[in-house]
Amino acid sequence: MKENERTQIRSLPSGVPGFDTVLGGGLPEFSFNLIAGGPGSGKTILAHQILFANATVERPALYFTVLGEPTLKMLRYQRQFSYFDPDLAGSAIQFVNLSAEVLDRNLDEIFKRIVSETERAKPGIVVVDSFRTIGGLPGSTARDASSDLDRFVQRLALHLTTWEATSFLLGEYAEEEQRNPVFTVADGIIWLSQATDRNSVVRKLQVIKTRGRAPMPGLHTFRITNDGLQVFPRIPEHKRLRHEQQRTRLSTGVPGLDEMIGGGVVAGDAVMLTGPAGSGKSTVATQFIAEGLRKGETAVIAVFEEYPEDYLARATARDSKIGAMIKGGKLELIYLRPLDLSVDEALAAILEAVQRLDATRIVIDSLSGFEVALAPTFREDFRESLYRLVGTLTATGVTVFMTAEVPEGFADARFTSEKVSFITDEIIVQRYVEIEGELLRVIAVIKVRGSDHSHEFRLYEITANGVVVGDPLKEYDGIITGVPILRAKQIRAKRSK
Amino acid sequence: MTTKGSESMSRDPKREIARRLIDSRRQERTGADTAARAAASACDHLYRELARWVGVDGCHALFTRALTLARVEHPALAQIQFHARSDPYVDGLAATTMAYGDAATAEALESMLVRLMELLGRLIGDDMATKLVGRSLATSEGGDTGTDGSREQA
Repeated sequence: MKENERTQIRSLPSGVPGFDTVLGGGLPEFSFNLIAGGPGSGKTILAHQILFANATVERPALYFTVLGEPTLKMLRYQRQFSYFDPDLAGSAIQFVNLSAEVLDRNLDEIFKRIVSETERAKPGIVVVDSFRTIGGLPGSTARDASSDLDRFVQRLALHLTTWEATSFLLGEYAEEEQRNPVFTVADGIIWLSQATDRNSVVRKLQVIKTRGRAPMPGLHTFRITNDGLQVFPRIPEHKRLRHEQQRTRLSTGVPGLDEMIGGGVVAGDAVMLTGPAGSGKSTVATQFIAEGLRKGETAVIAVFEEYPEDYLARATARDSKIGAMIKGGKLELIYLRPLDLSVDEALAAILEAVQRLDATRIVIDSLSGFEVALAPTFREDFRESLYRLVGTLTATGVTVFMTAEVPEGFADARFTSEKVSFITDEIIVQRYVEIEGELLRVIAVIKVRGSDHSHEFRLYEITANGVVVGDPLKEYDGIITGVPILRAKQIRAKRSK
Repeated sequence: MTTKGSESMSRDPKREIARRLIDSRRQERTGADTAARAAASACDHLYRELARWVGVDGCHALFTRALTLARVEHPALAQIQFHARSDPYVDGLAATTMAYGDAATAEALESMLVRLMELLGRLIGDDMATKLVGRSLATSEGGDTGTDGSREQA
């Protein structure tokens, strides 16, 4: 069958940021869906967002409330969300209470009421909240009840689709209940869950089934804010779009460092700067951003360790133009510090800012802070998640500059965290060394993919204007240990003086 | 009502809606041939309409609370009672009218309707409360006769 001969199923917007991507383009029109999940998982909020995104006075939405959250309370709480438009409630969105039918009558009476209300309002969207209450009505025997429910669900699905309504049944179901007839009849099943791991709560959404669509598989994290649900799709890693042939070099803004890297960092690369506490990682990162801004580029800084005001105050002290650049829309500071963050949520926020500013440089300060900000469950697959994050960001062409703290151990010559170094194209390390009873700082370039670079350890200082790279430590051996030894030749030369 | 106090009250949109709702019931077709019967019929009608939205129990809870609030100002409401799931919803009208007169009973029920709208407004916002009651008014003015014929004669 040719493409244009197929019946096109129109997609309705869900009204939930990120959710249409997961759904494979939106909600299939006239589909019969189940939104399932435990108490407090966000089913009612999701349903309302769908209603407010689609209902019109001409094609209203019918919201059937059954037993469960009383309508008055539901309205009272729902109107706290930004998507709730009181002007639509009562006209474009009509609420119908079915508790009398559920309490007093049987499934046939409930069906009749839904039919009569549907025929009266001719809705485009129908929600039954909670369908679980209807499904739990007692029959004369368990077998009768199951058979009655089968029949009821079949009739309801057929009726609502025939009346060209896209419908959503909401219910508290457990995973082992998926043999329930409503799961079989439903065209789409959306599962919401929230899991507690230590002290963090992580909300996840899964589109288990969508007939006529190819939803994005897997579990996707979501957050509930005053704007309702926001879904953070697991974005598959894209093929890198960077123009390999260009290999444009970007100046770091750190005197002496560009030369060590081979002429500056490669545009579109993922660069990691590691070092112990106080070694000046954030200072270098700020210089990298300031240099880009000086050249008319736009940039994003994602802060995980400090409050944005503190970070900004420190950055502005080094470069007075930073604050003005934020006001001028050239630089955006993103603060991501909750302890229940998912990598996908962080990625969504960073990506949105990068795209909004058309940024060419991004700083993630720091990966250590980022890992701590994640919910424990995401820390377990931090490597994979970070790989996805960096891959997605560099695919946009932006140059990613990340800082990471590594513990300073004089007996341990580890330069980078083995967890994350594999995702980077360029690695720069900073460390402390003791020379003649003084603690000095040295910097070295460990890796620049596909390019030659300096192999020297160089001293550097943190001045009022930022980091300045100095001379190489050519007279010493064992710098890597943190306690370098002056070569014999140099000792002799010193003595002869 | 033509007193200055009534004129100032009529500027309150909630009272205005309550008054219009009662007026819409004061027609021959509803069988409400007195002010008190029209006011009771308005309560019956609003109860039926709101119950469709918020359920019988939720609606009854609202009316009961509004009645309690209105009784403070209107002793005439002492004998008025609401019975959920019964028709008519308002009970005790005949005894009240007998004791306080038609006008005082009607005014008391009107105040109860105002309290109900205020209460609803506090719960879901004045805009939505006005809209919900406004829909009931529209159906009443549109010719819903309800079941006032079954009410006891005052």
